[in-house]
Amino acid sequence: MGHHKKTCVSVLFIVLLLFMPLFLGDNAYLMVILSLSGIFIIASTGLDLLFGYTGQMSLGHAAFYAVGAYTSAILTTKFGLSVWIGILMAGITSTVCAALIAIPISKLVHMFLALVTIAIGELAYQAIVNLPDVTGSFQGVKKIPMPSLGAYVFDSFSYFYIVLVFVILALVAKQRIIDSRIGRAFIAIRDNTDAANAMGINVTYYKVVAFAISALFTGIAGALYAHYMGFISPESFTGDQSILFLTAVLCGGMGTFFGPIIGSLVIITINETFQALGSYQMLMYGVFIIVAVIYMPEGLIGVIKKMNSTLLQVVKNVVAKT
Amino acid sequence: MFLQLLIGSIMLGGIYGLLGLGYGIIYKTSGLMTFAQGELLMMGAFLGFTFFKLLKLPFIVALLATIIIMFLFGFFFEKMIIRTILGKGGSVIHVLLATIGVSIVLQNLAAIVWTSEIQQFPPIFNVEYLELGTIKVAPESISGIVVAVICMVLLHLFMNFTRLGTAMRAAAQDSSAANVCGINVSFAKGLSWAISSALAGICGIIIGPVYGIYMLMGALIGTKGFAAAVIGGYGSMYGSILGGMIIGVIETMTAGYISSSYKDFIVFFVFIVFLVVKPTGIFNEKIIES
Repeated sequence: MGHHKKTCVSVLFIVLLLFMPLFLGDNAYLMVILSLSGIFIIASTGLDLLFGYTGQMSLGHAAFYAVGAYTSAILTTKFGLSVWIGILMAGITSTVCAALIAIPISKLVHMFLALVTIAIGELAYQAIVNLPDVTGSFQGVKKIPMPSLGAYVFDSFSYFYIVLVFVILALVAKQRIIDSRIGRAFIAIRDNTDAANAMGINVTYYKVVAFAISALFTGIAGALYAHYMGFISPESFTGDQSILFLTAVLCGGMGTFFGPIIGSLVIITINETFQALGSYQMLMYGVFIIVAVIYMPEGLIGVIKKMNSTLLQVVKNVVAKT
Repeated sequence: MFLQLLIGSIMLGGIYGLLGLGYGIIYKTSGLMTFAQGELLMMGAFLGFTFFKLLKLPFIVALLATIIIMFLFGFFFEKMIIRTILGKGGSVIHVLLATIGVSIVLQNLAAIVWTSEIQQFPPIFNVEYLELGTIKVAPESISGIVVAVICMVLLHLFMNFTRLGTAMRAAAQDSSAANVCGINVSFAKGLSWAISSALAGICGIIIGPVYGIYMLMGALIGTKGFAAAVIGGYGSMYGSILGGMIIGVIETMTAGYISSSYKDFIVFFVFIVFLVVKPTGIFNEKIIES
């Protein structure tokens, strides 16, 4: 997809989203889905930079999501800082954490990396549960404030616009990174690590950078989630959450601009709509992952592209015949 | 106290070692990894529970039936899913993701079929505990250790002294050369998944009476089994047993002398340190770093 086309589609999409609340009126349910999807888009965009573009698998991204969420929640509730500073600090702490973790583990290849990231996710979860003085353990952190702008305090309805601004920032940042020197290094590492190394790319350095940037996105998403829900507890940061991020990226199509967006919308819609199904819902995810891996390894974006090109072919054939 | 803890850690270590063996066998023969070991363990436990408690079969029959079903499950899992993905040009990552999908399916299927509450595995023996000198030990932990040791010995004999075992080792070393020699490599690969699935099922039956059975019972154990394989040297049979023992001792001693709420934290910490500092494990299997 050309750059122009991508920009056009994005602008159209954003304008549509800006006016969405007007069309929906007071459909609170859809606003919840949109806001949560936005938060999810930011997180899975972060994961996509790491997994889709750099080829480094992470099954522990819930850890960075948790670091972001708890940093902002604790700073605003216990120290009374402004929400904006909380979100900023959330981004910084999760980036620093990710970089510190990535330095030792960056030499591991994908599957061992996957396992070590599972262990890191598990460590983070255990830390939250076992530090009741800081995180409140299973009681969680309550009464996390909404952000305010001057005298105006956002509510769960207008919060959507904050999420939207962050989504746009995240997507623009992602595209800028991919088009830069750093992004080309990422892709080179994904496609052939040895060749990248031979070309003079500092593989370890860029892997650490990929981890850090990825965690920045996910950490900010965690903070946005905390302020949106007003309450966080360990249950939101289990291994299942990490798998959901991964499913979103896979489902949409990894290593693409629109993949994480589509994936997040689909996952959140399924998640919120079929909440009552319990075990059946997770079962569906499982089946979905298997089917996706076997039949559409390039995700929904891949399917759409394929349909597009077949359509184009059909049109061309018709044109050629007449 | 120390002896009692030691017996507990040997039993737990045996479980982790057996699970780790499963990871190792799959990796050696096909170069692939699985995330489903923990859930296969859970499935084995539920199958054993069904045969032993609900159908009231004798324990040995229940154990054998579970092993056979798990064996076949592993074999067909490889044939139906892993083979399809590889046939379509999927990579290691795709296989890994598919096994994650399978483990989610198994977990929730178990919750739907057997409810998500913890089920008690009935005691296998009539005696409540055995007296070994001054300490009391649950007979289930002793039988667990015995079964684990038997499995390891059998596996060792199978791999080293049977035609099929030799064929599997050959397929592991160089699959195309093995193929040329007339070894059915495809069957050997299926067999490796079948064996590791059966091993996981056995672990489930061993651990069921000790910890109770529930849908998430395999999640942590599966990761610790992987940790055992890594600490010993990923792909090394004897390494993973040693690794399992190390983890078993660390976990049980932490729970016994410090606090049980820190045991998982410490185990995962040790695992990460090992992966970072010595990823080739104690037996120095040079396959982890790229």
